[in-house]
This record gives sequence, structure tokens and C-alpha cells, in this order.
Amino acid sequence: MKTPIIVVTGFLGSGKTTLLSKILEDSAMRNTAVLVNEFGEVGLDHHLLRRVDERTVLLGNGCVCCATRGDLVESLVDLLGVRERGEASVERVVVETTGLADPAPILFTIFSDPVLQHRFEVESVVATVDAVNGNLHLDANPEATKQIAAADTVVATKTDMAEANGTRRLISRIVRINPSARVIEASFGDVEAGDILDRDAAHAAPDFISPEPHDASETRSVSVTFDGAVDWAAFGAWLSMLLHARGEDILRVKGLLDVGDDGPVVLDGVQHVIHPPRHLDEWPDDDTRTRIVFIAKGIGADEIISSLDAFAGLLGAKPHRIVHEARARAM
Amino acid sequence: MCILCGEFVSSPHWTDRKFEDAVRAGRISEGEYQMMRRRGRIRRASLVGEVLSHYGLRLSDWSGSKYILRDSKGRTEMVADLGGVWMAAERMLGYAPDPLDPKFIEKMEAG
Repeated sequence: MKTPIIVVTGFLGSGKTTLLSKILEDSAMRNTAVLVNEFGEVGLDHHLLRRVDERTVLLGNGCVCCATRGDLVESLVDLLGVRERGEASVERVVVETTGLADPAPILFTIFSDPVLQHRFEVESVVATVDAVNGNLHLDANPEATKQIAAADTVVATKTDMAEANGTRRLISRIVRINPSARVIEASFGDVEAGDILDRDAAHAAPDFISPEPHDASETRSVSVTFDGAVDWAAFGAWLSMLLHARGEDILRVKGLLDVGDDGPVVLDGVQHVIHPPRHLDEWPDDDTRTRIVFIAKGIGADEIISSLDAFAGLLGAKPHRIVHEARARAM
Repeated sequence: MCILCGEFVSSPHWTDRKFEDAVRAGRISEGEYQMMRRRGRIRRASLVGEVLSHYGLRLSDWSGSKYILRDSKGRTEMVADLGGVWMAAERMLGYAPDPLDPKFIEKMEAG
């Protein structure tokens, strides 16, 4: 059994720490180790996480993601030691990223490290967005968009301090960036740990909506299905080619792929990093069609569809775009 | 696994994963696994070979463990998996083959 890791990402001041301290109060989170880093408001972060002090491993070198990827490995391997020596039980790990962090390197570290890949799995990526300044962050920082794209769950925080209209606009913008994410509103940091930990909900068979891109944003998503089962080898060839050539621009690929077996293949990729695809024994619901969302920067829906179309002969099925009426399910 | 580092990563490339998981979980035997894996790789080599033929490159499977990529000048590279294939193709061509490139799409459609 691999130990689940929750990656919590979000801009400075977007309420990551408040969210963490809130969910760590839950008894289900008792045996959770928390890895935070010493960047920016460290002292404050650490102080607020006092509750889990014993299990908090402070990473020394600033950013957890890039420069100190080795430290993340070290800390996680350390935790394995702590558990094996019986010093504490560690049932789950929360990794809090710095505000500016791109979550992809963390995922990469966990998937590729020879020890970690067999002992840990990424349960979900949670991004916090502050309802007051979220729009500003998204305008000014490409990293904010990457964080939303990489997330399975987006928590809109400080909704108590924002105007209702502003919050609605922000949430619809989040859904435009990442239609596969679940959006939770949290006023006063009030969020149930159960909601965050609900793995099934975070990875629910995605009912992808593909709203038209926002004028101000280059990031757009396209949801694709096929008129039949696709050949997994051919799809893997196409996707690995795409990610090699355009991985920087493909912020996320997520979905279920009908490969003609009893169950689908679960696909989840963040930029160049692909979760090891899982081949399920059965479909999670009655809908057994392929559903994949691509979140890309500067790549049009038509480009993806016509490329898949050119591969239709190899794939054994033709692609279609899924387009629904835009609706934000958290509203 | 980072597709940019395919060659340096000791774990199986994600496209090779299907049967790996099944054999680990005990759903198929080691013998079945070897056969399916081998078959999968040969199929993948032929698929990707078809794609790369539009760039003047040839790809073949080498005893189920490596892929051999060749260009028309006789240059040859051996790589372990698809991640490595695209990197080697980029080195030979001087650019990364892009499935969204309209010229490539045209060639694919022409067959």
C-alpha cells in the first residue's frame, strides 16, 4: 500500500496555511506529516502549524520544487524511517509548496525517484485561490494559471471578504482554465477535511465542460471524446510525441480513455510529467466513453482535434470535441 | 516520469506500463507478461515508425529491449523507450517532431 501525498499549492497569502491548519484539526488527519518550506513567511507558517510541529519537517533550501527536489526525497525517505522505527505512524503526507512553485517538479520527484515511486503516490493536488486577489494573481502570474491547471481540487478562500460577483467571476474563470477541477468555496478558511480528502470526488469521472476561452487568457481547455475505443499504443505514441514537442504548453491532460478493455485507462499529466497511467478493471459509472481534457497555453482546440484526426487511422477511432453549456458546478 | 528524461529514468516509461502493472498485481503470469510486453513494443515500434517515416526516419524494435532509430544519412541511435525515441528524433532532425504541425498533419492524412 503506497502512502498518499496531498500537494497543496497556491499563491502567498492565498490561504494555504489557514486551509492546512483547518484540515489538520480533523481526526482523519491525525497521522499526517506536513512538509512545509522555509520561503517567504516561513516563521509564520511554521508557527501556525505548531499543532503538527513534531511531524513537520522543515525543508532548508527555500523552494521545495526545483532547487531542493533532493530535499523532498530526503524528507520523504526520512519519514519512511520514522515510520519503520515505530517513532510515529505516518498515514499521509501533505506537501505545501511555495507560492510561486510550479507543482510539476514535485510530482516528477515522487514518480521518478527509485525509492519514492514504490512507497508514495500523489493522492491529489489542491490549489488555493484567494477570492479577493485571485483575479489579479491570475492576470499577473503565469504560475497561478499553472497551479490551477495542475489541481484536482481548487479551494476559493476568503470568499467572506470578497464581493459575491467577484467570487462568481473568479470561479467561472477557474472552471474555464480547468474544467476537470472540483471547486470548493471556503469562507473564513472554513472547509471540511473530508471534502479535501474525498478522493473519489477529486477524481470523479469528469463531466468535462469546455467553455469558450476567456479573451484575456491564452490558456484554454478542450475536451475530447472518440467515436469508439482507441488503440492504447497509438494514443501513447501520439501523446508522448505531443508532450515531447509541446509539453511546456500543455499544462494538463486528464481523463478516462476507452481502450477497448473492461475498464478505462486513467490518464493524468501535468506538463512533461505523467502519472503512471492506471488501467482500471471497470468504469466508474455508466458512461463508458473516452473523456479527456487538455489544458493548453497558446494551442487551439482545432489544432488538437485535427492532429488526433490525422492519427485516426492508427488510433482506430475519430476524435470529437465535447462542448457543453458553460456552467460552474460550485455556483 | 519526465518524458524529457526518459532515458535516465530507471522506471518503465509510462507507455510501457500497461502490462507491468498487471504482472505486479498478479493478474497475468510472468510468461504472459513477457509475451504481451514484447508484442506491445513491436506494435509500438511499427506505429511510431509510420509516424517518423514522414520525417525520413526509420524505427525498429531490437530484441524487445531497445528501439533503433536511423536516418537517411545512416546515423543510428539506440534508445530504451518512446521518451528516448522522440529525443533521438529531435537530435537527428534538429527540431522536435510536433504532432500539431499542419505540414505533418497533411502528410499523415495523405498516408
